[in-house]
Amino acid sequence: MIMRSGQQLLLPANPVFIGFSLIAALLLDMLPLGRVPWMPDFLALVLVFWAVHQPLRVGIGLAFVFGLVVDVHQASLLGQHALSYTALSFFAAMIHRRLLWFTVPSQALQVLPLFAVAHGLELLIRMIGGGIFPGWIMLLAPLAESLLWPVVSVLLLAPQRRAPDRDENRPL
Amino acid sequence: MTLGTLDRSPPPFFKQGPSALSKLMLFSTLSLFLMVADTRFHLIQPVRAVLATVLYPVQWLALQPVHALKNSSDYVSGLNQAQSDSEQAGRKLALQSLRAGQVEQLTQENNRLRQLLALREQLTASVMAAEVLYEAADPYTRKVIIGKGQIQSVELGSPVLDESGVLGQVTRVHPLVSEVTLVVDRDLVIPVLNVRTGERSVAYGDPAALGSGMELRFMGSNSDVQPGDLLTTSGIDGVYPAGLPVAKISRIERRPESTFAKIYCVPLALVNGARHVIVVKPVSGQMPPRPDAAAPSVPAPKRASK
Repeated sequence: MIMRSGQQLLLPANPVFIGFSLIAALLLDMLPLGRVPWMPDFLALVLVFWAVHQPLRVGIGLAFVFGLVVDVHQASLLGQHALSYTALSFFAAMIHRRLLWFTVPSQALQVLPLFAVAHGLELLIRMIGGGIFPGWIMLLAPLAESLLWPVVSVLLLAPQRRAPDRDENRPL
Repeated sequence: MTLGTLDRSPPPFFKQGPSALSKLMLFSTLSLFLMVADTRFHLIQPVRAVLATVLYPVQWLALQPVHALKNSSDYVSGLNQAQSDSEQAGRKLALQSLRAGQVEQLTQENNRLRQLLALREQLTASVMAAEVLYEAADPYTRKVIIGKGQIQSVELGSPVLDESGVLGQVTRVHPLVSEVTLVVDRDLVIPVLNVRTGERSVAYGDPAALGSGMELRFMGSNSDVQPGDLLTTSGIDGVYPAGLPVAKISRIERRPESTFAKIYCVPLALVNGARHVIVVKPVSGQMPPRPDAAAPSVPAPKRASK
């Protein structure tokens, strides 16, 4: 296994946990908080995270399906989120070998363009389709998503950082 | 060290499946196709309905914490609020009871007069109450989702009202939920009548105006409108019953260089916070049939000039 020096060896990822985290992110996105253009898209974040960390398990197809689900929930154009999530996970697949060599804060900086492209794609489609411009405050959304990257990295890797052999001092 | 510590399955070297680029092409083509089919040809409604129905339990789950929070805050807000509310409601009721008595008498009188004049009966609309589940998070439109659908026989195009005015129109019907486009959405147009002058016009949603507003377009710059005028539905569109309050005119800009005045209106319905709404059956089913278009009266041919 090739990895950065000084890194902890991780346990294998549990597919059930991956699925659970995706569903939880979808639920977070579905909270009826109204129309908030700067709200970070948690599902996009988690999709990119797993596309980088587990590229064999979470890929473009899954991202497309989740995009359709989000489209139906938000009553937006069917295919809008599907397209942006597809592009997002494609770019994540492009950078996944490089990204993990960086420290977590610089990883956050490296995924910022990805989220910006995804939101820009959605904006472009909706402007062509004749939607309302939601205001410049929506520029905060990709920023918020990349700021959440370190948080998500800690949370979603926590099960893989458990002790391989439990004892009294390390019960988890 | 136990065996399950590391991921020991080797990564597949040769069986990689289709490349990322080809997957990207496939899925982006598919989503572009879906988008075109959705906007231009309206082919996708069954897919959407199926997905929406499958998604309903998940949505219900996501709604619970927020509803619980709202309910508990209502509970905590307590006695004072409830007392003032009931006092207000009582006052309103007293005012309305006077009016209701008058209406009774006026309706009777109106009926008799109409019979005398052999006019058509006024259209009556059947209604259904519904609850707003959530506001659509899509920032590019203004929609809400209500908790009644095809199963409760919501019809496409039904007007939706809240307690103070017209809120919007049902634009998509799923089996269990429906989408309502609000009057402030850019794509919604509603024919209105200025109550003061009796002039008919058309109000457009105008979300670009600060917050959420509407705009009365194509009114001449010398037209008789004043700030504070009440606009109600005119009832000539075959969708909205006549006489429902829609908006109040808030500001008028008359520009010397333009033929039309810029007229801004504020919708009367709570477009940002309606919780309970009424879905009205569109009146188009009750309208009399159109006059036969096949046999237009042929105007007498003009004489050729000598």
